[in-house]
Amino acid sequence: MSAILPSPRGWPSILLARAGAAKPADLDDAVKAGAFEGLRRAVRELGPDGTIAEIKTSGLRGRGGAGHLTASKWQAAAETPAKSRYVVANGYGADPSASTDRTLIETDPYAVIEGVAIAAFTIGAETGYVSVRSTATSAIRGLEVAIEAATARNFIGEDALGSGRRVEIEVRPVQGAYMLGEETVLLKALDGKRGQPEQRPPHPATRGFRNAPTVVQNVQTLASVPWILRNKAKAFKAIGFGEAPGTILIDIRGHERSGVAEVPLGTPLEEILALGGKPAKGRSLKALVVGGPTGGILPASLLATPYTFEDLRGVGAHVGSGSVIAADDRACVVDLARLLTRFAADEACGKTIPCRIGVRRIAEIGERLSAGTSRGGDVQLLEDLCADVVGSALCDHERLATLPMLSSLRYFRDELDAHLLRGECPAGVCRPIRLGATA
Amino acid sequence: MTDLIERPPSEVTPAEVTPAEPGDRTVAEHPMGLSETTGPNRQERANLPRRLDARPESRPDQPIKRDTIVPMEDSQAERLLTTQSPQRPQSTPRIRIEVDGRVVEGLEGQTILEVCRDNGIEIPTLCYEPKLPGFGACRMCVVEVEGEEHPPISCSRACEDGMKVQTQTEDIRRLRRTNLELIFSDHNAYCLPPCQNKCPSHIDIPGFLKQNAEGNFRESTRIFKRTIPFPSVLGRVCPAPCEDHCRRDEVDEAIAIRDSHRYAGDMVIKSMLDENLDPPIPFDHQPATGRRAAVIGSGPAGMAAAYYLLLSGHDVTVFERDPAPGGMLRYGIPQYRLPKVEVLEAEYESVTRLGGKIVCNQGLGTDFTLDDLQYQGFDAVVIAIGCYDTNTLGIPGEDAPEVLDGLEYLRTATLGLPYPNHKGKRVVVIGGGFTSMDCSRTSIRQGAKEVTLVYRRDMKDMPASNEVHEAIEEGVTAIFQAGPVRVVTDKDSNVTGVEFIRMALGAPDASGRRRPEPAPGTEFTIPCDRVLLAIGQGPELDWIGPGSTGPKATKNKRLQADAVTFETGRPGVFGTGDVRVGAATVVQAIAEGRRAAYAVDAFLRGNDLSTIRARQTLAEPQPEFLSIVPFTAEVKEPRYRMKAMEAEERNHNYVEYEIPYSREEIVAESTRCLQCTCEAIGYCDLRRLGIEYGTTLTTLEPNPHDGAGLRSVNENRFTGINHDYVRDDSHAFILREPSRCIDCGRCAQVCAEVVGAACYDFMRIGFDTLVTTPLDMSLNDTPCVSCGRCAETCPTGALMPKPRVLQKYEVDESRCILCGICVDACPYDALRDGGEFELAHSSREEPMIDLMAMAQVDRETEVTYIRKERDWLQRAIDAGRYVQSDRLLTVLPANLTRAALGNGNGNGGNGANGNGTGHGHEHGGSSGESHGGSHAHLK
Repeated sequence: MSAILPSPRGWPSILLARAGAAKPADLDDAVKAGAFEGLRRAVRELGPDGTIAEIKTSGLRGRGGAGHLTASKWQAAAETPAKSRYVVANGYGADPSASTDRTLIETDPYAVIEGVAIAAFTIGAETGYVSVRSTATSAIRGLEVAIEAATARNFIGEDALGSGRRVEIEVRPVQGAYMLGEETVLLKALDGKRGQPEQRPPHPATRGFRNAPTVVQNVQTLASVPWILRNKAKAFKAIGFGEAPGTILIDIRGHERSGVAEVPLGTPLEEILALGGKPAKGRSLKALVVGGPTGGILPASLLATPYTFEDLRGVGAHVGSGSVIAADDRACVVDLARLLTRFAADEACGKTIPCRIGVRRIAEIGERLSAGTSRGGDVQLLEDLCADVVGSALCDHERLATLPMLSSLRYFRDELDAHLLRGECPAGVCRPIRLGATA
Repeated sequence: MTDLIERPPSEVTPAEVTPAEPGDRTVAEHPMGLSETTGPNRQERANLPRRLDARPESRPDQPIKRDTIVPMEDSQAERLLTTQSPQRPQSTPRIRIEVDGRVVEGLEGQTILEVCRDNGIEIPTLCYEPKLPGFGACRMCVVEVEGEEHPPISCSRACEDGMKVQTQTEDIRRLRRTNLELIFSDHNAYCLPPCQNKCPSHIDIPGFLKQNAEGNFRESTRIFKRTIPFPSVLGRVCPAPCEDHCRRDEVDEAIAIRDSHRYAGDMVIKSMLDENLDPPIPFDHQPATGRRAAVIGSGPAGMAAAYYLLLSGHDVTVFERDPAPGGMLRYGIPQYRLPKVEVLEAEYESVTRLGGKIVCNQGLGTDFTLDDLQYQGFDAVVIAIGCYDTNTLGIPGEDAPEVLDGLEYLRTATLGLPYPNHKGKRVVVIGGGFTSMDCSRTSIRQGAKEVTLVYRRDMKDMPASNEVHEAIEEGVTAIFQAGPVRVVTDKDSNVTGVEFIRMALGAPDASGRRRPEPAPGTEFTIPCDRVLLAIGQGPELDWIGPGSTGPKATKNKRLQADAVTFETGRPGVFGTGDVRVGAATVVQAIAEGRRAAYAVDAFLRGNDLSTIRARQTLAEPQPEFLSIVPFTAEVKEPRYRMKAMEAEERNHNYVEYEIPYSREEIVAESTRCLQCTCEAIGYCDLRRLGIEYGTTLTTLEPNPHDGAGLRSVNENRFTGINHDYVRDDSHAFILREPSRCIDCGRCAQVCAEVVGAACYDFMRIGFDTLVTTPLDMSLNDTPCVSCGRCAETCPTGALMPKPRVLQKYEVDESRCILCGICVDACPYDALRDGGEFELAHSSREEPMIDLMAMAQVDRETEVTYIRKERDWLQRAIDAGRYVQSDRLLTVLPANLTRAALGNGNGNGGNGANGNGTGHGHEHGGSSGESHGGSHAHLK
């Protein structure tokens, strides 16, 4: 479990409200803190339609990275005629550099369970799955204890809260590659198949797990739902940035302190970084990797960028896994981009050509830059190839895998040129072959 | 399957059930093998059983008469199909979408791809399998849909009413092209070997080299003769354009392709002379047609035409102007390069052994006319008289008596006669072709004091450049980049020298060679006594006229004839070879003659000549090279070279100077061939799309690094690390070549969803992902049922039906033990149980050795053995089967044993034997005729 970085006074606390609780999986403690009040309100007061309306008013958007409106997903799943429906909470936390989902589950398993229950009740699903990385044993144990306790007290189960509806929740430890963070891949894995994405549309909300309508949500999204129902949508909408209200968990690394922090959406990157303290002694901030292995590499000049889905996309990064890594002046951006792209290439599921071969070729261009063995036109080739990979991509993995190289090309052209033209690495990380004077 | 369900049976026409093969497949079965690669696997693939053929018409226990037609509606399968809920009933609402500006109609729920294909709009796919839902791996079927950010893939995107789709925009085509290029950057395979492509006659070079490597020289020659009838002749005189393009050159050195077929051809000649074996013929000799063809000219083109016409069953007579057949082969190429008796006449014997007649001393225009031939009853006439009219220089002094026509000189010299007054002369030979080379080297052999060869271009632009070093070794002086200005003569018109001017090389001309331009002020004179002109020849066309009207000459003074149908202006008269194209190489002439033979054959059989135009164009390999990964290999093994006699020894005699290979050498040399060929050529969707999307080169790029030779390495933008997988031919019917796999996943899907065996899946991760068997095990170890559907669906040559020549299996009933394994294993119900079949001691459902049970027991103990036997016996009794009492264990429970003996029904004693034979009789006698169950014919 990562450390939880304390937020400044006055910042709202939604997801990590129970941080520091002695026994996170103790039901009595949780109920005392307000657990299952949201579910009760959904069942007794709002009903499915009312719940969707409330979520819609709150403006809640998916925390999994893409930022889709939660209410429209639920609506689509509820409206699609089907015999059975499913809710899947994605707590896989694919990014090795971010432990946000896991931290949330360990801190407040009941929020996740309640969120799944509300979603299941709302769309008419009988089964909800919480998928967790199988190595996160403490998170799995916490969830199992919590599910058992909640079932025993009839918050969930055969007749959840006396609603006459059956809501079963199951923990599904899954093990596999980075790709499992993608929703269609996760559904395949849950079904015991090789984790490979499916073409969207149809979205899982209309045709997902076992071809049934399935709401796949990040655990943070689901954990926000009980709070919204408990404190009303208006209170939620007041928090954070207008278009994307609420808070999000961010894993901050690279400065003095590393850990997970809860941050209102729309907070500038600078303030987020400040939660981790300052750069190491005698060092200065050079770049930020925002969004995990397929994130963008941003320069220090963009520190004022607000942390929202749209703003980050605009500057060539994305929310992704919620990881923000600060790189100081010892890092070489070319080397960093090469490494990240190669990671994405090696973790690809291998289904499509642009991903299996294309991303690997992008990584090879980066490797050539780093080694000083570039071919003529490699920079142009990089741009062309990235555009074509994005154009014919199947899932977001290959689209986003172009970001590290593209953003370093966009913001760190000088450093790239130093490798390409002068055969030197300013940071002294790469050892490019020095070409002749004419090169 | 969806196709079947949504339409009433009456709509399913036979043509749809077995889709018509594309044009080139039918061509492939032409007896002359016009195909790019030929082989039984091609037919195998076409013959692969299809799903529909396999549908049983009735249960085996309800025999039907063969001649009764069972209405489709009544068949059980049809009832089953119609009663199940159809996926898309006929009442599905129709929708309209706009594709490329055209409004087309489809059914709701159909994908964009289905609607487009139903309406004849082609969208390329690689991973799409029509039997299954769209998969979306290849990203080739991307289309642009108005108002969408990312182009969707049409194979899994459902149509919506009013959707506007663009299938061929520039952006979309660029995406597809990038995809293809990415595939090719990791496609460690080759389709058409560059050598075969570059050969004017498109010999199956990897094919014959493979046979050579195995020591099958007759088979090697047979493959060779599919395209060229004279392997030994060509093995000596061919300039071997193939070797310039050999991919082995990327490893170490090109294969000695020419010397390899020379050896194989020589072996055949040897067996012909020593054992009087007929040379192998490439195709079945067709039955006589009764048609007569006359071929004028017995040079390479004429004899090639004669050879293939003879094989097609026509009666052929060859007319030759000179006293002996051979044309330029005999009168233009010196003895030391091509021994006349040992090689030329021996190879020509393969034509006469097929029944060809050669009439010598009969020249067109002098002894007979075209009218004469047609009066004599020849249905077709092929003019292949070659080029014998030497060009002139057009410079002063050229008419001096000592300025000789090089061909005229060679004509005497190759007859073995010393040319008058040649000994001791200083000779200048002008020209750079093979004739000039023959003139120079023959002059040396005839004792000329000095021989100077002058060519106006650079040495590497010389047509005969590969022979220059041999000429220089023998004593020829070669001067390049110099053109003659005038012949210097004294007052008696005796030649005293030739004045030349230096040539600078200018811009490249149409042939790609740099045009020579005179550099003023650089004139120099070479003193000499005699000048031989070898600057090219044109055909003699003065026979055109009364008696031979119809054929016309072109502007360039060639015989006018079509390039594909070879028709001249006169019906039934064809022109081919040098007379049509101008002086060319022997191999080009033979290619001309062979192709002309097809046209003449079509004419003689009464076919429309315009129809063969398309067929010929399809059959000849296209000059397209796909951008695939360069060959990389570790093992280097340089070429085995033929040794030559010492120059001092060879320059005064006419004996063939190259010392042939030994058998060991030829096998080793042929083994070096990389076999850059693919069995799937012609079927490969990847190749087709690669050509369509221009990821090809129409020619090979010159190698930029060392300036010599041409390489097949080319500019794929993404060339990087690629995979090199091992070929797996462990399975009897399916050949796996993972290097050709493009990971489309079709085999995995079909095997899992349609067949149910699930032998393949995506394995490993990232760039190393490969669709293969678990742990890359042999297919023999998977649940493979050898149905071949994976090979059928594979868009490339990664999965191929193995070459098999069998068309039909027959069961030898005298040896059949009726084990029934074949019945069980056959995925198509081609073999079935007969009516009175099951009398055996055990059935397949209950094997005598219970393998599953055995597998569960770690170590066989006495207890488990007895328990197993007891359980088996219990089951046998329950099923009412006959049990042989003397084979039961004595320790079994008494009640069981009694029960078992009770149901024996007096059949007792020697049950096993009696069962087997009695069974066989019944089966063979009664069931055979009624429904053909025992006469198993597997296609």
